[in-house]
Amino acid sequence: MKIAVCIKRVPDTETRIKIGADGKSIDESGVKFVPNPFDEYAVEEALKLKEQTNGEVVAVCLGPDASQETLRTALAMGADRGILLKVESLPQDPLVVARALAAELEQGGYDLVLFGKLAVDDYDQAVGSMVGELLGLPSVSAVTRLEITDGHATAQREVEGGVEVVEFTLPAIVTAEKGLNEPRYPALRGIMLAKKKPLDIKDLELDEGGIEVLELTLPPDRKAGRIIGEGAAAVPALVDALRNEAKVL
Amino acid sequence: MSRSSLVPADFQARLPQDQLVRGDPLEAERIDVDVLFVGAGPAGLAGAIQLARLVKQDNEGGAGIGEITIGVLEKAGALGEHSLSGAVLNPRPFRELFPDVKDADFPFRTKVEKEAIYFLSANKYRRIPTPPTMRNHGNYVASIGEVVRWLGERAAEAGVDIFAGFPAGALRVEGERVVGVRTVAAGLERDGSPGSGYMPATDIAAKVTALAEGSRGLLAQSYLEWQGIASQNPQIYALGVKELWETKRPLDKVIHTMGWPLPRTAFGGSFMYPLEPNLVALGLVVGLDYRDANLDVHELTQRMKLHPLFRPYLEGGEMVEWGAKTIPEGGYHSIPQRRHGDGVVILGDSAGLVDVPSLKGIHYAMQSGIYAAQAIFAALKHDDTSSTRLSAYDELLNDSYLIHDLYRTRNMRLAFKSGFYSGSGKAGLMALTGGRFPGGRIDVEEDARAPRTTTECEEFTSDGELTFSKVDAVFKSGNVTRDTIPSHLIPNENVGAELARFYTHMCPAAVYEEVDGELRVNAPNCVDCKATDVVGPRWTPREGGSGPAYKRM
Repeated sequence: MKIAVCIKRVPDTETRIKIGADGKSIDESGVKFVPNPFDEYAVEEALKLKEQTNGEVVAVCLGPDASQETLRTALAMGADRGILLKVESLPQDPLVVARALAAELEQGGYDLVLFGKLAVDDYDQAVGSMVGELLGLPSVSAVTRLEITDGHATAQREVEGGVEVVEFTLPAIVTAEKGLNEPRYPALRGIMLAKKKPLDIKDLELDEGGIEVLELTLPPDRKAGRIIGEGAAAVPALVDALRNEAKVL
Repeated sequence: MSRSSLVPADFQARLPQDQLVRGDPLEAERIDVDVLFVGAGPAGLAGAIQLARLVKQDNEGGAGIGEITIGVLEKAGALGEHSLSGAVLNPRPFRELFPDVKDADFPFRTKVEKEAIYFLSANKYRRIPTPPTMRNHGNYVASIGEVVRWLGERAAEAGVDIFAGFPAGALRVEGERVVGVRTVAAGLERDGSPGSGYMPATDIAAKVTALAEGSRGLLAQSYLEWQGIASQNPQIYALGVKELWETKRPLDKVIHTMGWPLPRTAFGGSFMYPLEPNLVALGLVVGLDYRDANLDVHELTQRMKLHPLFRPYLEGGEMVEWGAKTIPEGGYHSIPQRRHGDGVVILGDSAGLVDVPSLKGIHYAMQSGIYAAQAIFAALKHDDTSSTRLSAYDELLNDSYLIHDLYRTRNMRLAFKSGFYSGSGKAGLMALTGGRFPGGRIDVEEDARAPRTTTECEEFTSDGELTFSKVDAVFKSGNVTRDTIPSHLIPNENVGAELARFYTHMCPAAVYEEVDGELRVNAPNCVDCKATDVVGPRWTPREGGSGPAYKRM
């Protein structure tokens, strides 16, 4: 089985975000970048499938040159080779990204293309499904369990209050939800081997697409808490505050 | 009034040498490299870069030694995350290592244009003349984290394998020879059993292992003890607590202070450096031979910020990072008499190469890495990595400006063992006489041997704006160590209330608490400053990526 995993370089979720001088982008100085955590579930799932079927796992990343490091992480985990679709900066429009990825994936002859269900930097949850549409393939999102036998797949999706079970045939697009697996850490040997694995860099020039960021703002500072009182006597005041001030009751 | 005094050394465990120096055969699944640097700080990375360059030049000339694998192990999850320094740095080894790079292209922040030293009393400050050793003309303010990441990129470009998130936990030896290290297992549960994400320890075999673990390096200590390598004086340490602030008011000069808030029985001082006019590093450094059992470096740092010299810069600003680290301060007489052996060399802070009078160690660390690389290269070229061949490293060091400078200032820190005021007088005379006064060598004892006496102390409450509790501070260190990790600290079994309180004050990261007269250990809080290893429970490495995640310290 030939599997592609699409991964993205994103700021570490522990990073304290600062907005850049232009007011439209984040200030990247001092920001640590990591592979998108949901994409790590996708990589792990690809590696598990490869271990069962002896296939090939190709990691694909669209991003700036520094994304080579993101791809090396996937290679160190066990992916066989990497493809970097290199751009100066990432377009905001997920459709532009999806088109570029679809053009690359179309030629690859993949049985399965895995994505994370969303990237933690933009929360679009769009690219995976868009690629499915562009390639005319079945697309199953936010999967927490995946089983594949002879080109036939069963997936579980967590939906409000229950589990949805979906059947589909390969080739297909699957996006990974937290809980699908526990991603492995790259081992020392994996890191050494990763250096020698092929990493193909293709320069792309993409238009900005139909979305323009006008302004970025940080969420307002959370107000400090207030102790209303102690014991049962304080309950009416608390209920009043929740109802009339916080308006949550 | 009779006061009890306690000697921390009486309660310290010995190094677990049976676990640290392992002579059993290497496992079959081992990884082989030619040269392994343990620690991706300035010493290890400068060494790796220089070695890669010497090998490349040799191969380009034809009849070279061929491809060499150079590995660098780092316990932090990413480069720089465990690196902390002031830092005003001397650019000399950068220029030697990168002759084609302009000063403006090094990862430095601002060139030192103005500097001042103040003597503080509780509410006042008085400017005093800058001693010659502390003049910083031509030096740069920098973040060691940024320096280390930059060096890491250069090393990777040179083909060096960097393994971040892999601490070295034991020396692998055959007879007297160091043949590599064993990493630390990851994914263990609190009881030591393998949990999810378990990754076993791995043996890494190397022809030469360069120990560049930084201050109070575990394997360096272990090697020196195993081989019985002494120094004239034991190594002594200081603990520094540092914060990074985004300020409203710009700072235009490098500031050092002496005096308050330290008691007369403690040696140390503070610093405040501008990385940018409105990005300010500040901190307090205190010798761990302090005598007051209640002395608390974190708390003194908090009090210090309320002083009229500091407060105006910080008000309305935001503390963005916090960290702590020890510094080897013994100088010349505390350097191990031999820094090499069969298959091994010891670099930088791990060898005590810090210039205390000028408050600098980064350039010494890098310089020692460069010398080590030269010696290792020559050894590989002769296919002989014995102690005799690697002694070239010590010869290079001994002939260098580094040992020469350390010799001149050999007694300056030691003079302060008898207290600050008599110490400053002696240190002044030493500077004037080029180190000849008072002559001879001042004997010192290990920090843990200094008796501690409990005095009354005022309770300090942090305000959450200018001053912070230790728990808030640990959060600002970026420490997200898993709570279920096994404890990596080795306390003595009989820790009474008094000792527990001493540990509580000593540790800047709230690892220790005295609860109902007993010691409670919050091991995940540890930021690997190593103060505990110097005067408290011994420290051992945890799974990779544990501890702080400093960004610009």
